[in-house]
Amino acid sequence: MSNLENNSEKRSENNSRPQIERNTQYWKSFEEYNNTPEFQQSLQTEFMSSPLREETAHEGTEKDHVARREFLKLMGASVALTTAAGCIRRPVQKIVPYTKQPEEVTIGVSNWYTSTYFDGQEGLGLLVKSREGRPVHIQGNPAFPLNGSAVSSRAQASLLGLYDPERLQKPFRNLFNEKRTNHETVNVSWEDLDNKVVESLKKGGVAILTGNLASPTLRAVVSDFSKGFGADHYTWEPLAQDDIWNGQRLSYGEGVVPSYRYDKAKMIVSIDADFLGAWGPAVTSAKLFANGRRDITNMSRLVSFDSTYSLTGANSDIRFRIKPSQQLDIVLGLIAEIISAGHSDYANSDAVKSVVQAYKGVADKLGLNAEAFAKVAVDLWKNAGQSIVVAGGIQTKTKDSLQLQVAVNFLNSLLGNDGKTVLAGSGNRNLSASFDQLLTLIKKMKSGSVKNLIIYRSNPLYNLSEDFGFKEALTKVDNVVYVGDKMDETASFAHFVATDNHALETWGDSEFAQGVYGIHQPLIRTMYDTRSFALSLMTWGYIGQVGPKRLQEYETYYDYLRAFWREEMAPKLAKGQDFETFWNGLLQAGYVGETTSSSARTFKVDAFKLIKKSEKSESTLELVLYPTIHIGDGTLANVGWLQELPDPVTKIVWDNYASVSLKLAESLKAKQGDLVEVKVGSKTLILPLHIQPGLHDGVVSISVGYGRTKAGKVGNDIGHNAFTLVTIDKDDVLFAGLTAELKKTGQKYELVTTQGHDSMEGRQIVVTATNKDIEKAKDANIHRHHTWSIWSGHQYNGHKWGMAVDLNTCTGCSACMTACQSENNIHVVGKKYVMQGREMHWIRIDRYYTGNPESAETVFQPLMCQHCDNAPCETVCPVAATVHSNEGLNEMVYNRCVGTRYCSNNCPYKVRRFNWFNYAKLIEKPMHMALNPEVGVRVRGVMEKCTFCVQRIKEGKNKARAEDRPLKDGDIKVACESACPTQAITFGDLNDANSRVAKAFKEEPRSYELLEEWYAKPSVRYQSKIKNNDQITPAKKGAGHA
Amino acid sequence: MLKRNQLVLGNKTLKDVTDDICAPIERVPSKEWMGLFLSAKTLFIFYIITIAMVVSTGMGLLGVNHPIAWGTMIITFVFWVGIGHAGTLISAILFLFRQKWRTSVARTAEAMTVFAVATAGIFPLIHTGRPWLDFWLFPYPNQRGPLWVNFRSPLLWDVFAVSTYATVSSVFWIVGMIPDLATVRDRAINKVRKTIYGALSMGWRGTAKQWSHFEMIYLVLAGLSTPLVLSVHTIVSFDFAVSGLPGWHTTIFPPYFVAGAIFSGFAMVITLMSLVRIGFPQFKDYITIDHMEVMNKIIMMTGLMVGYAYGSEFLIAWYSGNDYERYVFMNRALGPYAWSYWIMIFCNVVAPQVFWFKKLRRSIPVMFVVSIFVNIGMWFERFVITVTSLHRDFLPSNWGQYAWSIYDTCILVGSFGMFFTIFLLYLRVLPAISIAEVKPVMNVGRDDEHAHGKGH
Repeated sequence: MSNLENNSEKRSENNSRPQIERNTQYWKSFEEYNNTPEFQQSLQTEFMSSPLREETAHEGTEKDHVARREFLKLMGASVALTTAAGCIRRPVQKIVPYTKQPEEVTIGVSNWYTSTYFDGQEGLGLLVKSREGRPVHIQGNPAFPLNGSAVSSRAQASLLGLYDPERLQKPFRNLFNEKRTNHETVNVSWEDLDNKVVESLKKGGVAILTGNLASPTLRAVVSDFSKGFGADHYTWEPLAQDDIWNGQRLSYGEGVVPSYRYDKAKMIVSIDADFLGAWGPAVTSAKLFANGRRDITNMSRLVSFDSTYSLTGANSDIRFRIKPSQQLDIVLGLIAEIISAGHSDYANSDAVKSVVQAYKGVADKLGLNAEAFAKVAVDLWKNAGQSIVVAGGIQTKTKDSLQLQVAVNFLNSLLGNDGKTVLAGSGNRNLSASFDQLLTLIKKMKSGSVKNLIIYRSNPLYNLSEDFGFKEALTKVDNVVYVGDKMDETASFAHFVATDNHALETWGDSEFAQGVYGIHQPLIRTMYDTRSFALSLMTWGYIGQVGPKRLQEYETYYDYLRAFWREEMAPKLAKGQDFETFWNGLLQAGYVGETTSSSARTFKVDAFKLIKKSEKSESTLELVLYPTIHIGDGTLANVGWLQELPDPVTKIVWDNYASVSLKLAESLKAKQGDLVEVKVGSKTLILPLHIQPGLHDGVVSISVGYGRTKAGKVGNDIGHNAFTLVTIDKDDVLFAGLTAELKKTGQKYELVTTQGHDSMEGRQIVVTATNKDIEKAKDANIHRHHTWSIWSGHQYNGHKWGMAVDLNTCTGCSACMTACQSENNIHVVGKKYVMQGREMHWIRIDRYYTGNPESAETVFQPLMCQHCDNAPCETVCPVAATVHSNEGLNEMVYNRCVGTRYCSNNCPYKVRRFNWFNYAKLIEKPMHMALNPEVGVRVRGVMEKCTFCVQRIKEGKNKARAEDRPLKDGDIKVACESACPTQAITFGDLNDANSRVAKAFKEEPRSYELLEEWYAKPSVRYQSKIKNNDQITPAKKGAGHA
Repeated sequence: MLKRNQLVLGNKTLKDVTDDICAPIERVPSKEWMGLFLSAKTLFIFYIITIAMVVSTGMGLLGVNHPIAWGTMIITFVFWVGIGHAGTLISAILFLFRQKWRTSVARTAEAMTVFAVATAGIFPLIHTGRPWLDFWLFPYPNQRGPLWVNFRSPLLWDVFAVSTYATVSSVFWIVGMIPDLATVRDRAINKVRKTIYGALSMGWRGTAKQWSHFEMIYLVLAGLSTPLVLSVHTIVSFDFAVSGLPGWHTTIFPPYFVAGAIFSGFAMVITLMSLVRIGFPQFKDYITIDHMEVMNKIIMMTGLMVGYAYGSEFLIAWYSGNDYERYVFMNRALGPYAWSYWIMIFCNVVAPQVFWFKKLRRSIPVMFVVSIFVNIGMWFERFVITVTSLHRDFLPSNWGQYAWSIYDTCILVGSFGMFFTIFLLYLRVLPAISIAEVKPVMNVGRDDEHAHGKGH
């Protein structure tokens, strides 16, 4: 020990601070002036009262024996070492103050950059929030012509992919045994990889498999590369919309995925097209749909024919439960109704008549309410030119899918919707991915003509069933190069993994609707040794010395992109601006251009004449596969936010399941959570049963995107892979309408839901009125309570924050929940703890079923802290950890909270969440970089809840103060509000009489307080939901005692 | 006038009394005692480990969740606080009412109170999310502003109520023991014992002046303790009654809780006394069947009061016309936790009815079984109140179930370990029956007719 002590003393000698020069001009003591040795020594020590000084003072005296020195020795050498050497010496390492800040970065102030998101189906314009150079939050770009400020859960959650600890950080090589059954992953340098890949590419037989590419520049790179190496480019998506594409081609001559103006339509009929959920540009659609329903006196009507319980079905005014095999009958039945009523130019066409003749009165055969069905046709015709009929998604991929699309197109043309509400001009021409191309590729692979296969971010080994034989075909390919950022199911079968950047690290551009170009800015420099797909292709072109000049010329993809924009895009879009101005403007706005106009196209009646329903297509039990809004095709399965986001309709988390109707479950004698075997042809899948009210009795529906085996620690083995049930029948890829058998296995499984009960029990929670009800009174069905108090209440002299939630436009999509989770650093707790009721979401969406279980209707209600004026939580906290602010906020002081949880017990809304464990400790690096630095991470044992994004309120107020102006309505947008696709949530100052929220409180008759009779006086008010179904709500018995 | 049975049987002399009562302290423990003590102590150690795990890992180990944020710990807390009440009732209120039969059971009942409150007192401290900050629950001058506690919170009242109760009942108990401790000291044959009991007896010499002071202070303390019998559980009930939760928010809670507390307390006294009679047969002469019968009568009466409260709650829930209130009570009786409700009804209302029969209320095996039932029933009463009210409140979307875990079981069982460990130690080291109080109620040196014929 003494040795160490000596060492430490030596060290301190060596480390002594530099001699300080004597300042002879200014001196503070005679010692200093004279520069005595004592003074020099005193300069060496920083603190005059340091323990070491005392030590020296007592050196040799009697006191020294038992004094600090002895104590220090006893304390151990290590302590002595650190204290003596470190405590009083200045650090030797140089630290540099932040005097020269990086441009545009102010510590503590966030920057927002425009970017985009594309998942193969939907493209979104984004604003990405960056703090100190790292992206922390994703919102919609309000200026973007398509989605605007609306954003999906998945786009927001893609942020976590950037910080995923399991993201690949460098290129890899897989070594295989002869049969390709086993592999070993080894490191490889980029140089090595490039040389080997190019060597192989030069042998020819190159194929590229990608998903839909929305980026014009990336398409140019791929095409340059293809030219250079003679490669074939195949695009395929697991959720490809090729039925729509081909249907459009057959009907109108050109393949396109049209855009739908749900805001302009007064009558919308969806045949299994989940346009509010997981099909197509759902966020944009939801936004438009809500716009068409905001004016409750003139709102659109949504009729859905639903074989799953989709979000679209849940939001429809009239919902028919159907089987997938009935889809075509329904459309033809509707046409028959209209034609036989003598409407439209086609009413006299014998050709058309002969096709639809058989479908007159088809509703009875299909078991649908004939009267209601006929009314749909009547309403459609009444709103001719102002209606939409839409079918699509894998739910419609039956044997008749193409006929269905042609029939739908015909119906739209017949109604004159084409060019008015169904727009080909602003449609997306980049969604050409198809199973046909994939099947062609597989055929070529099997024949051995594909020697090199480059796969970009597609995961066929997960997304394809055995019917495709992709795995066997892959073994015939000599060299497989995978470009992606995960060692996923497909990557581990590739010879080389040319690790891709995350989207937030990559430059890019996009064309989500014809004529509208978005720019995709990277938010962070590549965190690891990764390279974008485009740059990989460019590098291989450069090394191989092939392809057009521009492929080889540029060193980075950014240079290529700029050159491409300068040469190809700017001439048509810049409107005479010089390129730099144009480019900077583009980066700032995030987009350029406008949608091209559309006009009605001529329907090729011949196509319609070919419609012939396939024989024996109907069976007693049909399988229908569907994607969910949060998991989609399963790409983002490793994101905990999405796995823990409850399914909007079933409210089940961390699983997929076979949904059946109550009646079917009864006939199987099966209960919720029983494991059942689903048999389709020779394929079987065992998964838990979920009893779904409102499902057709002949349907079993299963969501895809689950059951990943190589997604990562979070997403592995969550649920079951329903893609394995996809069947190929004569080159038709079938996702729905497949004959299925269902068998109980006798085993049990725990399905976990965030909602304990599905009925409102007759209480006034979500108020629903119909269009007929509100003709009499706008506030129909709202029972107001007489409340009074002996206390005058709080005074709010400055601001008084409040929130209005319009249940009429809320679709339940749950984007707000992800926004809140990202903004407020809310932890994911996992399936086990959700089961125990410990999910942490500050905002949740309650879903209630109404009506009978057979045809149950659905209502949604976002619920967050109500920031009550008479907050019951505040009075019961023994340590005053939750207090009332003078702006009406119910504030939670985490530091003061000891965690008695009394507040939660006394909260009638039960919106408080408790940190049962130390969740913050579980954040794995670099996941902590996704945390919002403006919001504290809560420790174990404290209560937390919605704060009305108090950090955003502060930020808004500070900004207004800095600009020396009063705060304007809309300056502060809370996270849930800004993410909401339908603008159902409005936040603002109730003391500002002109604010939207004050108007919603005072002037909106549909406005009501939840549990008004409790007299908590919440600062959140809901607006009743209107069902446009021409019904009259029967008077409730004993209403008024809720 | 009816003739009353003697309070102490077996024609004891005063020396016999002293010998009998001091015997357990002065001899080597019996095998039975050792067996009981070792098992209780094992449970106690187990309990300490469980608490350590919960404190170090988090509340999440227990079954508490959203929406049921209070669970086993609060239920068991109320249970133990309730148990305590019989002791104070016997030792203070019955003292003031000059009920002489109390003398032989008062000491042990009061000990039970102290130990039960000690057992209970741990729960509010460890049930918080951050137990290391529990001192924030006490109002003390501090450097944080100063930042005071929230005096509006019933939980804070609870802190005061329970800590007051613990203090007063301990003082009452210890003071009452002083003359007896002096007796033990005087009888001590080894020096260690003499020193310890000497210190504990605080220099008691048994002079007339000391007796005079002693009786005065005992009376004063009895007077101080008396309101606590009513106030403590009233305030504990405020934890529930002052909140706005249907099923908690009821004005009947204070009397209902107090009645329930006395009910459960007497049941626990019966349980313990039955065990004491088995463990120390010589005490049978002091804790007689008559004593037990009187307490059984109280159990029956308070049981009826509790039963009345159960009925009244339903009536008021219906009469209020409040849908939430009505639902909670229907849900108690018919919902997913109906089993707990009916266990409660059976144990608390049905089982004590056997005491209508004299033969049964004087039978030790019967009363032991009934007292166990009442103990179980009263634990379930608190379970029913806490869990069934919370699990289905206003918004059906919140509804959930309690996620009972192994840690809940350990906490519940472990608390009995703690209680019995202390209680068994008490039986060994302190005089379990008040020697000084028993002697005056004996017939030694009195005319039988005079002592009992005139009645008291």
